[in-house]
Amino acid sequence: MSYKCSRCKRDVELDEYGGVRCPYCGHRVLLKERARDIKEVDVK
Amino acid sequence: MMIPVRCFTCGKVISEYYEEFDARAREGDEDPAAVLDDLGVTRHCCRRMMVSHTDLVDVVSPYQ
Amino acid sequence: MSAEFDVEFIERDDRSARFLVRGLTPAFANGIRRAMIADVPTLSIDTVRFIENSSVMFDEMIALRLGLIPLTTPLADYEIGETVTVALDVEGPATAYSGDLTTSDGLVEPADKNIPIIKLNQGQRLEFEADAVLDRGKEHAKHQGGVSVGYRHLQRVEVIGDRGEFDEEEPHILRGVIETEDGELVATDEFDNDLTNRYPGKEVSVTDVPGAFVFHVETDGSLSVEELVDRAAESIGDRAAELKDAVSV
Repeated sequence: MSYKCSRCKRDVELDEYGGVRCPYCGHRVLLKERARDIKEVDVK
Repeated sequence: MMIPVRCFTCGKVISEYYEEFDARAREGDEDPAAVLDDLGVTRHCCRRMMVSHTDLVDVVSPYQ
Repeated sequence: MSAEFDVEFIERDDRSARFLVRGLTPAFANGIRRAMIADVPTLSIDTVRFIENSSVMFDEMIALRLGLIPLTTPLADYEIGETVTVALDVEGPATAYSGDLTTSDGLVEPADKNIPIIKLNQGQRLEFEADAVLDRGKEHAKHQGGVSVGYRHLQRVEVIGDRGEFDEEEPHILRGVIETEDGELVATDEFDNDLTNRYPGKEVSVTDVPGAFVFHVETDGSLSVEELVDRAAESIGDRAAELKDAVSV
């Protein structure tokens, strides 16, 4: 799953042991990126 | 957010008139009632859709 | 029930009409009204495949808006359940309008071209492919072709004398269409819905004309008024035939 650091805007890969933290700037707020695949929505 | 596509009550498509209504009655200085009559939005259910709507897309669009 | 209906148009436009039908029972008039709302099918976007949506609205919100956009429906070419592919690709800064939609069938297009779907800022993009399906208003209100479909009794107005000399002049509000003593049909908005404007100083009686109904039909643009009324009557006929078949076997 890919994330983006909300401060330095760089892509971040989260690993199981690293904790939630940007490896480049140490910021703890990460934003989840939208998946690249096609999303199907039912209009109901 | 954006103006609803249709009137909640009767289902008439009203969103296509909103931009003109906004330009003429809110930004401009025409009488809102006269503008709505002119646009053919005659029922009061449809008129309230236009009168009571505030466009918030521009307010939220910088955030993602 | 009488064998012949007598139909007279009072107002007639592309998308709205007012017409008088004589020789109807109230039950049949209501049957036609209901058929126009729930039984005449129209095309409407039903599933949306989002390829990219970086706008400020969620996919589901945009999908809901898309479903409400009326699409012109060539009823002769489609059966219920058949689909048409619709696509859109707009990049900001711009507003995505219903007119930007492209369809796989030239006869199917958005009935209104100026419906804003979503306003896009610099760098935002909306791209999707969708299936529009033909279905009935029964299934979902987005498939409803008729908007504000209704009927009223035709009212006959007769002058029965002069208003009393010391009577208070009160407004006499009526809606719909009236029939005068000479048999003329007058829409009530012609005299601002107030009978005292048309007959000042007169005492009038208002009675419902039995079996005469004034329909007001508006469509969302997916069908013409004629087609909507035609199909509604046809659907009642089809269902009656179906019942007849089922009973006679």
